[in-house]
Amino acid sequence: MNHDPFHWGRPSQGTYGDYNYNIAHASNVDKSNKSNSEFPKMHTQQPMITGTSVIAIKYNDGIVMAADNMGSYGSLLKLDDLQRIIPVGSNSVVGISGDISDFQYLERLLDDLEVEDSYDMENENLKANHLSEYLTRVMYNRRSKMNPLWNAIIVAGFDDNDELVLKHVDLLGVAYSSPTLATGFGNHLAIPLLRQKVETEDDAAKLTKEEAIKTIKDCMKVLFYRDARSWDKYSLCVIEKSTKSIKIEKDVKVEGMKWDFAQHITGYGIPQQ
Amino acid sequence: MTSIGTGYDLSNSVFSPDGRNFQVEYASKAVENAGTSIGIKCKDGIVLATEKIIASKLLAPGKNKKIQTIDRHVGVVYSGLIPDGRHFVNRGRDEAQSFKSLYKEPMGLEGLISRLGYFVQAYTCYNSVRPFGINAIVGGIDDSGSHLYMVEPSGVYWGYMGAATGKGRQAAKAELEKLDLPNISCKDAVKEAARIIHLVHEDNKDKDYELEISWISKEETNGIHKFVPNDLLEEAKKYAEEEAEGRNDSDSASGSDSDSDEDME
Amino acid sequence: MQKAIPSTEYANEIRSEPIEHRFNPYSNNGGTILGIAGEDFAVLAGDTRQTTGYSINSRYEPKVFDVGDNLLLSANGFAGDSTQLIKVFDNRLKWYHFNHDKKLAISSAARLIQHMLYGKRFFPYYVHTILAGLDEDGKGAIYSFDPVGSYEREQCRAGGSAASLIMPFLDNQVNFKNQMDPESNGTKKKEIRYLSLDEVIQLVRDAFSSATERHIEVGDGLEMLIVTKEGVRTEYFPLKRD
Repeated sequence: MNHDPFHWGRPSQGTYGDYNYNIAHASNVDKSNKSNSEFPKMHTQQPMITGTSVIAIKYNDGIVMAADNMGSYGSLLKLDDLQRIIPVGSNSVVGISGDISDFQYLERLLDDLEVEDSYDMENENLKANHLSEYLTRVMYNRRSKMNPLWNAIIVAGFDDNDELVLKHVDLLGVAYSSPTLATGFGNHLAIPLLRQKVETEDDAAKLTKEEAIKTIKDCMKVLFYRDARSWDKYSLCVIEKSTKSIKIEKDVKVEGMKWDFAQHITGYGIPQQ
Repeated sequence: MTSIGTGYDLSNSVFSPDGRNFQVEYASKAVENAGTSIGIKCKDGIVLATEKIIASKLLAPGKNKKIQTIDRHVGVVYSGLIPDGRHFVNRGRDEAQSFKSLYKEPMGLEGLISRLGYFVQAYTCYNSVRPFGINAIVGGIDDSGSHLYMVEPSGVYWGYMGAATGKGRQAAKAELEKLDLPNISCKDAVKEAARIIHLVHEDNKDKDYELEISWISKEETNGIHKFVPNDLLEEAKKYAEEEAEGRNDSDSASGSDSDSDEDME
Repeated sequence: MQKAIPSTEYANEIRSEPIEHRFNPYSNNGGTILGIAGEDFAVLAGDTRQTTGYSINSRYEPKVFDVGDNLLLSANGFAGDSTQLIKVFDNRLKWYHFNHDKKLAISSAARLIQHMLYGKRFFPYYVHTILAGLDEDGKGAIYSFDPVGSYEREQCRAGGSAASLIMPFLDNQVNFKNQMDPESNGTKKKEIRYLSLDEVIQLVRDAFSSATERHIEVGDGLEMLIVTKEGVRTEYFPLKRD
């Protein structure tokens, strides 16, 4: 046995040779500067630059969706002019939150899909329902390889029958649809506000476009107030079924904020007249 | 072809004693009897057109498109063996896709055609394969402007202002030379293309054909390869027929041909 | 990412290893499902709420499917695996038809599902699966599976989040467990009999409204698929949305 105080209890070097540090994490040598080839292959374990919430609501003639223009690197504002809502063909839009490099990879996949669809120069066959199914499969297959694309995605647009599609897909390949959808922080901050307006499909059928836009804008304001990794510049996408149009308005600013001393703001402290 | 039957024409990758590769020359024969295809370089883009011979009355009109897209901004039309053409186009698509995946921007025409030239040439080097039985006209717009190329079975490719291949290529080339290339507008070129295809088909009248025209224009299609809209196609067809009649009228007026009424559609 | 761990009281002896922060490929998406077989029918019902953690993803995301051949299939647990399993089954059924040109018997479907589940024994589908339909004699049949393919034919089975709440109720109401014949004065067990479709529907509704009261992941809506020799029909009942 080795009686050196730093190696006490280990087999003596003289008899057994150099101690094998690989046994049960027994290394006392800092390996950080050695090649990490002895570590297993690393997959994405955490997102790097990230985009925050995407939110969406259905109204009587379509869908309104929004996502801000920021990419954060931890608490650093790394990108301030990032379009996270992208059109795919003329029937769908996709709003993506989470890791930005994975987002750009998805952007590439979707562009390839769009080009392949355009080989048929006469019809656009790629519809929002195909897109949501495709993305669900991509996300699920990557999670099954234990190498996920670290994103949450909202797909909106028209299906083969020109009906509305609104779907959420996440990094596990879990997909769901609902008249109100949000990713990330939006799930906690925006969804309650959105569901206040639209609880069921019937409510959505009663909501006007103007109300829907206002609701989304209010939510973006609340998100900017309360989500530290959000930004006051965002893209707003309006889908209209009757005209079959999809419009993306870029660089919308959050409006009507109050940053006064809280005492003067209604809702804090003593009720105001 | 004096050396035919000497055994030097049985395989790729074997030269004849006088330095020719017969398989490649035979491949060109496959092209020479196929439906005519033309490409026109215009001041704002490219127009591609083809005379699609209808092999059977049962084929659905308007389906079975022959002009294909390699990338948003690149179109192809070819004369010769259709399956060979499909294989060629698929390779073009792969090249364009991998280029864009690597460099984000769409592939330039010069780069694309050089890769395709290599690809076609490779099929002349191995005795396990045969050369492509097509002449492919590749046209498109990139950031250095519009380009029109034609690749031959040998793998050689040239840049053109007006390209023609297939059965009616001689007459078509003569007509293309009369046009003011490349200062013609795409819109006019569509009509001229219809006229030329209509004209060269007259030598092949026993077979029905369908006219197919596509274009890539900065002004008309925002740099994207598309079939020309139906109304324009109809207008072009009408123009082609009127021109043909006019020609026949003037022919008969000069009394050169007595059976000119036969040429009327 | 690395962290320094003083491994012993000797301060200068420092062990360094990457922080283990493994990606978790599973999540629990809540919900519960319930299948009951009758004499000439079977029902398979599920709530329509989908959750992750304390969030309600959707109030209407159906998870019970008519997969064809008079079979109902539902896989409850991790929604990603659930959709995948049903997609793969759809495909296998399609190919069964191509290859054999006949209806897939429910007993064969059950064995096929066992293979699909056990095939992923070392990276399981995280789901509780229930298959419902009619057997070769036209009798209602329920097959239930654990995540790795162990399966059994039963008269009734609840699966998913509120399975433990519903199952004892079913034991009592479907199989008459701990019930005595009222005439016998507590000396004779109550005789087992088939329940009628109306009784079963009422039972399922009661089971789900009770589960909704007691389990936060259950609620919003109840979708019930009923299979008889005439085919499959669907019924929907609202549940509490709180």
